[in-house]
Amino acid sequence: MPAANQQEIELPDSATTAPLLRIESVSKRFGTVIALDDVGFEVHAGEVVALLGDNGAGKSTLIKIISGSFRPDSGKIFFDGQEVRFTSPAAAKALGIETVYQDLSLCMNVDVVANFFMGRERHTKFLGLKILREAEMQTETEQAMRDIGINIPSVRTNVEHLSGGQRQAIELCRFVHWGGRLVLLDEPFAALGVEQTRRGLALVQRVKEQGIAVIVITHNMLHAFQVADRVVVLRHGRVTGVRDASATNPEEVVSMITGEWTRQASEQEPGSGQQIQGEARPPP
Amino acid sequence: MTVESRAPGTAATQPSATQRRIVTFLLDHLVWFILAIVLISFSLAIEHFFQIGIFVNILRQATFVGILAVGLSLVLISGHMDLSIESVMAFAAMITASLVASGGKTFGVDIYPWLTLPIALAAGAAIGYGNGFLVAKLQISAFIVTLAAFIGVRGIGLVMTGGRSVYGLPPDLRWVANTSLGGIPLMVLILVMVYLAFHFILKRTTFGRHIYLIGGSVTATFRAGINVNHMLIWVFVLSGALAGLAGWLLAIRSNGATPNLGFGMLFEAFAAVVIGGVSLKGGAGRLSGVFAGVLLLSSIDTAINVMGLPPQYMQVIRGLLVLVAVLLDSLKIAIYRRYL
Repeated sequence: MPAANQQEIELPDSATTAPLLRIESVSKRFGTVIALDDVGFEVHAGEVVALLGDNGAGKSTLIKIISGSFRPDSGKIFFDGQEVRFTSPAAAKALGIETVYQDLSLCMNVDVVANFFMGRERHTKFLGLKILREAEMQTETEQAMRDIGINIPSVRTNVEHLSGGQRQAIELCRFVHWGGRLVLLDEPFAALGVEQTRRGLALVQRVKEQGIAVIVITHNMLHAFQVADRVVVLRHGRVTGVRDASATNPEEVVSMITGEWTRQASEQEPGSGQQIQGEARPPP
Repeated sequence: MTVESRAPGTAATQPSATQRRIVTFLLDHLVWFILAIVLISFSLAIEHFFQIGIFVNILRQATFVGILAVGLSLVLISGHMDLSIESVMAFAAMITASLVASGGKTFGVDIYPWLTLPIALAAGAAIGYGNGFLVAKLQISAFIVTLAAFIGVRGIGLVMTGGRSVYGLPPDLRWVANTSLGGIPLMVLILVMVYLAFHFILKRTTFGRHIYLIGGSVTATFRAGINVNHMLIWVFVLSGALAGLAGWLLAIRSNGATPNLGFGMLFEAFAAVVIGGVSLKGGAGRLSGVFAGVLLLSSIDTAINVMGLPPQYMQVIRGLLVLVAVLLDSLKIAIYRRYL
């Protein structure tokens, strides 16, 4: 939808346009464990939302629901104004939702090209067989790697022979190249070095400038504030705070993550504290 | 093909792309070099071994295990296991023979002889579909599912014929076993065609690519939007259909079918596949290696026959070979880690 993107660029104040993704009271439980409880937020095109929370807060589960790996028990997901129910990652991908998972989604036994084009192999149909166009795919992979500055000895190397950083770089390269309308990044910089992380953050910026929406999960507050327009904090499977990045600071976010904030806020800022306290669960 | 993709700043101690390619090639085709060495040694050491007739015989002997090994390779590369192939082959042979044979306990029907080929293929594919469905959709271990089929399908064959033999196939079909083109038996040509076709499918098509991807990581493949279940079912169907083809050929070659036809071929196929470098963990292996593995086993069998040694030695040698193959595989990985 180029028209929508165009509009987005002209009107940087994303709050005035319809959200690209809207999540409405999504819940998910695994047996007796409540992973997500009545979660809701919005993401606009060309916006980077940082999803923050402690371990086990439900961030990865939420990402897996948006990417079609899990189905929510209840709640609704709207993409581009339409309600969607993803039955598989393929369905989410078809709408232009690209995901980079915490545990890498690479096949170690094949080369970089095969990983880069996984599920999207270029082919020629001949007698009902889909014949791979290897040379074309190799050129395109090399081009994409060069574009974002990844050094890999040969794109014909099997991924098992590459370093952890190089593997993650391939994943990042995939989302930049294939990122359709929404990109989900689950701890994308976990295995990256300093220089690669800097480059990774620049990639997020670049994708955002193309009008693509980004949801990024990270533990690193510095990274979050470097790229995010908005911050969504999860705690025990509930949204405990949504802030514009410019209107908050790492200390406040940390206190929201740990739960300190709701207790403090109720004493210091009665107005906002009450609002959040209504959502927060009673202390155990 | 570009070699320019190497990073400009790569350390000089690393092997160059050409060196890397040569070593990789040698390691990947190790079993062919072993086969060559074995054949040369046999030719030098055993009297009357070095003749065209002997080599043709090696190929002819390899037909059935060879075709089974193709299906088994597909399943293993996708990260699963198919123990049912031997029984499926025997079952298809039994059906083929029962439909058109003149003697023994036949079905007593009279059909066009060539119809037995699609029937044998379909029977194999149907059993393969059952295996694939249980493995992919119901998530039951392939080992258990196909073990059950291995036992049960052989049983169905026995029930069908009351444990008796069927013999005497029509000359139309016997023609397949007795024809040679340019000195090479038709059966051998069929074997080679099967290998070429499936080599192409594995290496050059998206279907083959997806088999390797699933063997590498089911999670990654699923997340990439590939329909893993659909793919797995197809892999088992192909394995079953290939076993059906092997059974059809075996019935023709044996001019009938006996209850214990092809007994032990499962393990021969496994040995050939492992010697050929297919990993039991999935995701690795190539059919060229498997073909060499099949030929290696067949060469040793033939050598033992030519030397007039008691056939019991075959068992011992096969066992040792499998062990050597697995050791070689570890060695290969070690070399890779160290130098590449």
